[in-house]
Amino acid sequence: MDRVALQAELVAALGADAVLTDPVSLRAYECDGLTGYRVVPACVVLPRDTAQVAAAVRVCARNGVPFVARGAGTGLSGGALPVADGVVISLQRLRAVVSVDPVNRRAVVEPGVTNLDISRAVAAHGLYFAPDPSSQQVCTIGGNVAENSGGAHCLKYGFTVHHIHEIEVVLPDGTVTTLGGPAPHQGGYDLLGAFIGSEGTLGIVTRITVKLLPRPAAVQTLVADFPSVEQAGDTVTAIVAAGIVPAAVEMMDALAIEAVEAAVSAGYSRDTAAALIVELDGPPAEVTAQFAEVERLCHEHGTTKVHVAPTPEARAAVWKGRKAAFAAVGRISPNYFVQDGVVPRTRLAEALTRIGELADEAGLRVANVFHAGDGNLHPLVLYSEARGEHERAEHLSSSIAELCVDLGGSLSGEHGIGTDKACSMPRQYDDADLATMTLLRRAFDPDDVCNPGKLLPTPRLCGERPGPHRPHPLEAAGLIERI
Amino acid sequence: MSTSFDARRPPQREVLDDCVHCGFCLPTCPTYAVTGTETESPRGRIYLMDLAAQGTIGVDEAFGEHIDSCLGCLACVTACPSGVQYDRLIESVRPQVERNVTRSRADRLFRGLVFALFPYPNRLRVAALGGLVYQRSGLRALVRRLGLLDRLPARLRALESLLPPVTVRALLARTPERTRPPGAARLRVGLLAGCAQRVFFGDVNAATVRVLAAEGCDVLVPRDVQCCGALSVHAGREDEGLARARATIEMFERYRLDVVVANVAGCGSTLKEYGALLADDPAWAERAAAFSATVRDVTELLAELTPQAPRHPVAARVAYHDACHLANAQRVREQPRAVLRAIPGLQLQDVAEAELCCGSAGIYNLVQPVTAEELGQRKAANLEAVAPDVVVTANAGCLLQIRRFLDAGIPVLHPVQLVDASIRGCDPV
Amino acid sequence: MPTTRFTPSDVDELRAVLADTTASHPRLLVEGAGTAATTGGRPDPADAVVDTTGLSGVLRYNPADMTVAVRAGTPLTQVQAELAGQRVAFDPARGRRGATVGGLLATADGGPARQQFGVLRDLVIGATVVLADGTVAHSGGHVIKNVAGYDLAKLFHGSLGTLGVVAEVVLRLHPLPRHVVTVAVPGPAEEATRTGTDLLGRGIEPAALEWTPDSGLLVRLEGTEEGVLARAGAVEAVGGTILSDDAQAAAWAGVDAVADPAAPGTTVLRAGTLPSDGPGFVATLAAAAARAGADLAVSSGVGTGVHTVALTGGDHAAVLAAAHAAAGPAVTVLRHDGLDPDAPLWGPPPAAVALLRAVKQRFDPTGRFGAGRLSPWLAPVRDVPATEGVPA
Ligand SMILES: Cc1cc2nc3c(=O)[nH]c(=O)nc-3n(C[C@H](O)[C@H](O)[C@H](O)COP(=O)(O)OP(=O)(O)OC[C@H]3O[C@@H](n4cnc5c(N)ncnc54)[C@H](O)[C@@H]3O)c2cc1C
Ligand code: SF4
Ligand code: SF4
Repeated sequence: MDRVALQAELVAALGADAVLTDPVSLRAYECDGLTGYRVVPACVVLPRDTAQVAAAVRVCARNGVPFVARGAGTGLSGGALPVADGVVISLQRLRAVVSVDPVNRRAVVEPGVTNLDISRAVAAHGLYFAPDPSSQQVCTIGGNVAENSGGAHCLKYGFTVHHIHEIEVVLPDGTVTTLGGPAPHQGGYDLLGAFIGSEGTLGIVTRITVKLLPRPAAVQTLVADFPSVEQAGDTVTAIVAAGIVPAAVEMMDALAIEAVEAAVSAGYSRDTAAALIVELDGPPAEVTAQFAEVERLCHEHGTTKVHVAPTPEARAAVWKGRKAAFAAVGRISPNYFVQDGVVPRTRLAEALTRIGELADEAGLRVANVFHAGDGNLHPLVLYSEARGEHERAEHLSSSIAELCVDLGGSLSGEHGIGTDKACSMPRQYDDADLATMTLLRRAFDPDDVCNPGKLLPTPRLCGERPGPHRPHPLEAAGLIERI
Repeated sequence: MSTSFDARRPPQREVLDDCVHCGFCLPTCPTYAVTGTETESPRGRIYLMDLAAQGTIGVDEAFGEHIDSCLGCLACVTACPSGVQYDRLIESVRPQVERNVTRSRADRLFRGLVFALFPYPNRLRVAALGGLVYQRSGLRALVRRLGLLDRLPARLRALESLLPPVTVRALLARTPERTRPPGAARLRVGLLAGCAQRVFFGDVNAATVRVLAAEGCDVLVPRDVQCCGALSVHAGREDEGLARARATIEMFERYRLDVVVANVAGCGSTLKEYGALLADDPAWAERAAAFSATVRDVTELLAELTPQAPRHPVAARVAYHDACHLANAQRVREQPRAVLRAIPGLQLQDVAEAELCCGSAGIYNLVQPVTAEELGQRKAANLEAVAPDVVVTANAGCLLQIRRFLDAGIPVLHPVQLVDASIRGCDPV
Repeated sequence: MPTTRFTPSDVDELRAVLADTTASHPRLLVEGAGTAATTGGRPDPADAVVDTTGLSGVLRYNPADMTVAVRAGTPLTQVQAELAGQRVAFDPARGRRGATVGGLLATADGGPARQQFGVLRDLVIGATVVLADGTVAHSGGHVIKNVAGYDLAKLFHGSLGTLGVVAEVVLRLHPLPRHVVTVAVPGPAEEATRTGTDLLGRGIEPAALEWTPDSGLLVRLEGTEEGVLARAGAVEAVGGTILSDDAQAAAWAGVDAVADPAAPGTTVLRAGTLPSDGPGFVATLAAAAARAGADLAVSSGVGTGVHTVALTGGDHAAVLAAAHAAAGPAVTVLRHDGLDPDAPLWGPPPAAVALLRAVKQRFDPTGRFGAGRLSPWLAPVRDVPATEGVPA
C-alpha cells in the first residue's frame, strides 16, 4: 500500500499526535534489544487505549498491511523487529494500572506497564508479581505475555503463563476479545495458555489481569564460590535431589563476575571460577531448615566461600549484580551476543565443557550467566566488531543454540524465537510439528498480517533447507541490514 | 565512513559503542515518561547520534528536536548498567546542533532572551524588580484574570509563572564578602553566589554562609558578577560556557581556598566538570582539574564536617527531592539526606518516582514548556502524596519549578535553610 | 455404540490408525479409562472408538532432571507409582479410579493441589498429539523451561477429545514432601474464605486450601517437619486442629468424593469464581438446590475459587442453570447422570467462542473428533449468538 495513504488513514483514525511518520523517528524503531537486525517501518503508531489499538489494526487489516506490536523493545530475538512497509504499534502509552484487588490477589493493568511497576503498585498490599525477568525494570507486561518471560525466581514460581488470569486481545482483524477469565476454570481450549508465548503473532494484548502472590514471609540468599563450574553444577543437582525447590538458583562464571563487578560492584569474589546464587523463600521455619541444608551441600561439593546476604540491602545488591549481568558485559567487551538455550539440568556440565571447546575453536571468549535450576543457559559471546570478529561470533552463538537442542534441550528458554531463531526451528521441530503450529496461527491470523515472519520459519526467509548460519534472505534482498 | 557531525568535538565512537540498546534507562527518562516515544528516550537519542555519526541521518532540525528536548537530567547515566557516558555525548552533540541547525526565528529570539537575562544578576535584578511591581501591583492578577496569559506563547507563560514570590529585602540583600567563624577556622571556603541564585535566593545564600560559619568555616563570597557558565554549557553554547569557566576559576584562585562550595546543584556540577571541559586547552587543563577537585556541594561538605554547632529540633515531615544535577551528575544522594536526618525531630519521607526529573533541568522549563509542565505536575503530585510540611531540594531550578506546581501551602526550601533554622532554633519558614 | 475399537499401543500405530481410516471411519470418539466418559457433553454416535489405554507406560524417567515422559493412556496412579521420592504434583479425584494422564489433560481436571501447583496445564512441559489425518505433532520438550514455538499442550487442555488425540506427555515433577499435615479449621464458607485469605497473606504457603461444609477449612501443609509444624502452629492459632493421619486421609477422601461420587444418578459440576465470590456462589447454588429438592455436596478451593458441586435427588437442571447464571462459561458438567438427556450442559459461550471454532476448524476440518462434546460452543456460528467479535 502507498505509504502516504496509509499514514493518512492512520492519522485519520488515531489523530496526528499518535502517528509518527518522519524518517528520523522511524529509524529509532528499526530494531529492538537485538540490534543485529534492522528494518525501518512505514509508520509507528502510539495508541492511547484499546479502541485506538483496534482502530489501528483495522486500518492494517483492511489494507493487508502487516503490523508489529512493540512494548519496551527489550526483546532479544528480534520479535519487535518491524516488517518492511508495515506498521509498528507501540503500547507505550497504555501504561495505567487499572485496578488492584488485594483480596483476590490480582490486578488489571494495561500492556505498557513495566513488570516492576506492577509489583510497585501492589507492594502496599504485601503482594507482588512473581515473574522477574532481569529486564523487569523496563520490559512491559505485554512483552512478558508475548514472550512468556521468566526470570530467576521461575524455578519455584513458574513463568508468565502461570501468573495471568485474563487478557484482552485485539485480534488481527481488529476485533476485540478476551481470553481466560476473571475466574479460574474457564471452559474450552486453553487459548489463554496458547496465546502466552506467541511472540506477538496472534494478536495485540491490550489489558491483562495478573495474578499476584503474597510476599514470602522469609527470604535467605547465599552466594557460594566454587573452584570450577562443574562443582557448582553438581551442587545444584544435589540441592534438587535433596527435595529442595529453591526460589532461585543462578550461576555466573569468572568472566561474567568480572563484568558485573566492573558495572555495579555487587560484592562477588573476583577470583573465583564460578559463583552460585541460591535463594530460598517461604515460611520462616521452612526456609531456615532448608537453608542449613543448602549450605551443607555447598560445602560438601567443595565451595571455597559461602557468603550469606545478611540484610535485605545486601540481598538486593546480589540481585542487582546478577540482573545487570547482560548489559554489564558491555564493560569488558566492545560487542557481544546474548544466547539463550536450555539443556536438561543434568547435562549442564557437559554443555559448559562443550561451549568452552567451541569458544576455543573460534578463538573467542564466552561469559556464562545462567538460571542453573532449570538448565537455562545465557552464554554471552564476546567479540569485537572493530577486529572483524562479528561473523565468527555469530557462528559460535548459533552453534551453542544448536548444541542445546542436540543435548535434548531447547532453542530458547525465555528470549523467544522471533526473527533470530525462526530459521533454526527445524532443528528442534519437524515439518509436521511446524505445520501444526501454523494451524494455530492461521486460526487467529488467517491473512498473515500479525508480526509475519517471526517465530515460525518461512521458505521466503529461510530458503528450502533452513539453517542458522546462512545469510538471512531478507538481508540478501536488501530488506534488512545486519551489522 | 562519512559523518554528519562537524569536526569540533563530535561524540566519541567508543562512548556511542558502549550502548547495548538494552533500554534499562527508559523508565528513568522524564521525556520518555511523558511521551512514550523512542526518540524522546536516552536509548533513542543515542541511537540517533550513532546514526548521525555514521552519516546515515543528517544533523538537521528533525534530529536537533530530539536533542533539544533532552532535559540533561542524567537520570539515564545513573540507570545505565553498561556505563554509557551520556553526559559526554549530550555535551558534545548540543553544540553541534547549536552550530549546524538553523532554528526558527521565534526560537532564536526566545533563547537569546533567556541567555541575555539569566547569567547577568544585574539585568535579572532589574527584570525581577519589574516583575515585583507586576506581581504586587495587581497587574499579575489582572493579566491572569483576563486570560491574557493563555494567549501568550507557552514559553513566555512558563517564564512568567516561574517568577518566585520575591521580597524587596531578599532582592536587595547582598552577601558579605567575608564571614568568619565564631572560633578557630577549620577550613577556608569559597561560596559561589550564583547569578540567578543571587537574585532569587538571597535567603539561601545567607543561610549557607551562616551555617558554614557556624560549622567553623571562614567563608568567602567573591563579589564579582560571575556566572559559572552552567546554563550555557547545558544548552550547548560552548564558547560562552568555556569563557565563563576560565573567568570563574580565575576569580576563585585569588582567594586561595580549601574548598569551593556551591549550593545550586546545576552550578556545582558544572564547576566539577571544568576539568573535563577544559581538558583540551593546554593552558588551562591543569588549573581546571585542580579547581574542580576542590568543589563540593554544600550538603556534601556538611556531611563531611563533624557537626560542631548544636542543632535544635525542627518538627517537620520533609519530602526531599533529588535534584538531577546533584543526584545524577554529582552522585550526591546520601549526603543531603544524612544532613537532614541529623536534625532532631525531622522526619524524612520517601517519595514515589524519586528518580524522575521535575522538569526544570537548566532552562528546560523555559524552552520545552509542555513536557516540563507535565513533569512538574507529576512531581508535585508525588510530593504531595506524602503530605509533607516542607519540600526540600538543593537546586534553584527545581525550587522554582516545584513551587510552581505544588500546593501553595507547602513551602519549598533548600536543605541548608533547614539546617540554618535548626542551628538558630527558629522556624524555617 | 460403535462396534469398532482401535487400541494402538504407540504413536506410530495411532498415526496409522488415524491416517488409514479417514474414509472408513470418518467419525471417532477418543476414550481413555472411561472415568470421564460423560464430562462436557454427550458424544454423538461415532464410527469407531480410539481407545488410548493401550498407549501405556513410562517412556523416560529422568529423576535428576525431575521430568517424566509417559504415553498418554498411562493411568496417573501408575506414573506416580514408578517415581522414586518424587511425584506429579497433581491430585484429581478420578486418579484413584485409573484415569489416564491424557484424559485428565483433555478434561482439564484437577484436585486440591491446584492451590500450589496448578493443574496439568501447569505441569506439562511437552506433548505429542495426533491429528485427524494422522499428522503427528510435538511441542515443548523435556526441559522445564522452553519457549520455542507455540504450546500445543495448552491448546489441548480442556479440548475434550475434539481436536485430536494426545499420544504422549512430558511432565515436570516435584519432590515428595518429607512431611504432610492437615489442619482443619471449622466454620462456614465466609469464615473459611477470610481465614484462607489471611493465611495466604501471611505467607503460610499451603499446598491445598479446601473448604467443605462438613470438614470446614482444610489446610494442607507440606515441607520439612520443622517447617510444617511451625506453620501448623500458626493455623492452630486461628482455631485449627491438626488432624491425625487417619482423619487427614478421611478428610481428603471426603473432598474427592464430591468430585467423583460413588452414588448413581449424581450430577457433578465444577465452576470457577473469584475467591471472594465463592461463599456467595455456594450459597446461591445451595438455595437453588433446596428449592429443587436436591441434596448438594460441595468442596471449594478457598484460594483458587474453584468449586466442585455434587447433586443427588431432585431437579438438577435448575441448579445448573443457577451456576450458569452466576459463573457463565466457567462451569463444566463433569457428570450429568441426574440431568435430562437434552438438558443444556454448557452455559453462555466465552467471549472468544469464534476463536474456539476457528481452532477446531483448522485442526479438525472434517469434524472427525468428539462431535457432541463442547457443543453447542463448537456448533456452527449461526446456532449460537456469539458475544465476541464486537469491534471496539
Ligand atoms: C538486559 C536484558 C535482560 C533480559 N532478561 C530477561 C530475562 O531474564 N528473562 C526473560 O524472559 N527475558 C529477558 N529479556 C528479554 C526481554 O526483556 C523480554 O522478552 C521482555 O518480555 C520483552 O518485553 P518488551 O516490553 O521489551 O517487549 P518487546 O521487545 O517490545 O516485544 C517483544 C515481543 O512481544 C511482542 N509484544 C510486545 N507487546 C505486546 C503486546 N501488548 N501484545 C502482543 N505482543 C506484544 C512484540 O511484538 C515482540 O514480538 C532481557 C532483555 C534484556 C535487554
Ligand atoms: S544507555 Fe545504557 S541503559 Fe540505555 S540503552 Fe544504552 S546501554 Fe542500555
Ligand atoms: S538526560 Fe534526562 S532527559 Fe536526557 S536522555 Fe537522559 S534521562 Fe532523558
